[in-house]
Amino acid sequence: MAAIEADAVSKRYGSEVALDRVDLSVAEGETFGFLGPNGAGKSTFINVLLDYAKPTDGSASIFGNDCQGAGVAARDRIGVLPEGYSVFDRLTGRQHVEYAMDSKGVDGDPSRILDRVGILDDADRTASDYSKGMAQRLVLGMALVGDPDLLILDEPSTGLDPNGAAEMRAILEEENERGATVFFSSHILEQVEAVCDRVGILQNGELVAVDTIEGLRESLGGGTKLVITLDRLDDGTIESVRSVAGVETAVARDEETLEVTCTNDAKMDILVELHDAGVDVVNFRTEEASLEDMFIEYTGSR
Amino acid sequence: MTWRTVARRDWRLTVDARSAKVLLALVVLGVLLAGYIYPVVTTEPYTTSRFPAFVEGILTTLVPFVGVLLGYNAVVSDRESGAIRLSLSLPQSRSDVVLGTYASRTGLLAGTLAGSLAVAGALVVYPFGELQLGRFLVFVGLAVAYGAVWSGLGIAVSLAVATKRRALVVGFVFLFLFVVVWDALEAATALGLSAAGLVGDELPAAVELAFGLEPGRAFGRATAGLVDPTRSVEGAWYLGGWAAVAVLALWVVGPLGLAYARFAGRDLT
Repeated sequence: MAAIEADAVSKRYGSEVALDRVDLSVAEGETFGFLGPNGAGKSTFINVLLDYAKPTDGSASIFGNDCQGAGVAARDRIGVLPEGYSVFDRLTGRQHVEYAMDSKGVDGDPSRILDRVGILDDADRTASDYSKGMAQRLVLGMALVGDPDLLILDEPSTGLDPNGAAEMRAILEEENERGATVFFSSHILEQVEAVCDRVGILQNGELVAVDTIEGLRESLGGGTKLVITLDRLDDGTIESVRSVAGVETAVARDEETLEVTCTNDAKMDILVELHDAGVDVVNFRTEEASLEDMFIEYTGSR
Repeated sequence: MTWRTVARRDWRLTVDARSAKVLLALVVLGVLLAGYIYPVVTTEPYTTSRFPAFVEGILTTLVPFVGVLLGYNAVVSDRESGAIRLSLSLPQSRSDVVLGTYASRTGLLAGTLAGSLAVAGALVVYPFGELQLGRFLVFVGLAVAYGAVWSGLGIAVSLAVATKRRALVVGFVFLFLFVVVWDALEAATALGLSAAGLVGDELPAAVELAFGLEPGRAFGRATAGLVDPTRSVEGAWYLGGWAAVAVLALWVVGPLGLAYARFAGRDLT
């Protein structure tokens, strides 16, 4: 059974389309990154999953339970770090975790969880005095209560310093190894690239790509970029490189540097072609297309 | 039964709040004061069944304000801040949140009313009064129901609107209408109708019924009809004691039900 199944989920606010027929299936046990620029509809999609918002059309389910019709059952086995929350005004951090335990029917010591997310020392302070990063840790702790089968996290590293973000990532990896499915949204590409099995790219409410990171690279011309420094560079040289089979683009970066994207097999052919044209190759290196390149390619924006 | 989880959390937060303490202390003070001076300012016989007629005026003034002020910010403030997102990310439904909050706030008011009325009853009985336990318990029950109407109205308001400020305004509109100007409205209607030559001295039944629906009046008629043997309710059956109990029950369920329907179908923004 799929952890998350979305079937043509649309959400419109008046004439504005926030989500446009999003189909998505997240398998049990995978770590799925939900990417997109701000305002692409990532949070709207998560809001539908959590029944904060009702879809205009379509439906979504979590472990087979409809998110709207059977919301309580859908949320029974999940842990959530939502966006736009605030902590309860006069409850301490410990009481927050106790609230989650109480609601999920879990016994045990909140200290274990508070320690795991690194706020045990502040557990008995009022949570409204926490910094954004501490609140984020606290709510992650609430999400971890009861070893959920699915974690849904909306921009989990918001408010965390680089250290905190790394700890967050480590916890997500531990949870995934335990067997939990992890679904999180982010606009920070490195994070997604580091931990995700698959990513989905959302753009203006439409899911424009869902694939593994390798798959995305493949579909973008094998994803190899050659940066070649030559002793001289003229239009004729660029033309002849473009004529090599497997070359996608060839662009002069400056007076003596040529950038070529191509399939993996074409690399040697390019060098041979340059040699035949009588141009000396001073230096060359290859770059893998980063997720950022792909992201820009897909969404046309940063 | 996750509404209990919500109720426990809400209870813990509400009893901690200074404003709630002040409001509830006001109720205690009013009721105890009534119990204390009742034997002093009225004539014999002092019984716990005649005491309600005396304390009623204080209750119908204090309880609406306290109920609305306890309830109006219940859900809307969590919604405004975003804390409700934490509640609703857990395996609990919107109805759990509403029911839990309602149980907690109404419970606070009901407990305060029952406790202070019990003490006031003791003040009435000692040293010269007479206890009529069954009837007094009915009265306490009615007072609790009346409290539940107003805390329910407060919660209903907090469900129906999107900001705390609006909730307060709407809450005060209800208070103003039902507690402050209701009698004047009725008098004005009677005057207007008779000046227009439409009616004689008495209001037509439908108008009388409409004005009688106000929770405070229903509470008064229920007390007169069911608690105090020296009083009786005159008029048609629909103005009798049991009908008044039914009216109170409708006031508990109606506003909350309507507001919940509105809240349940909405997106959190």
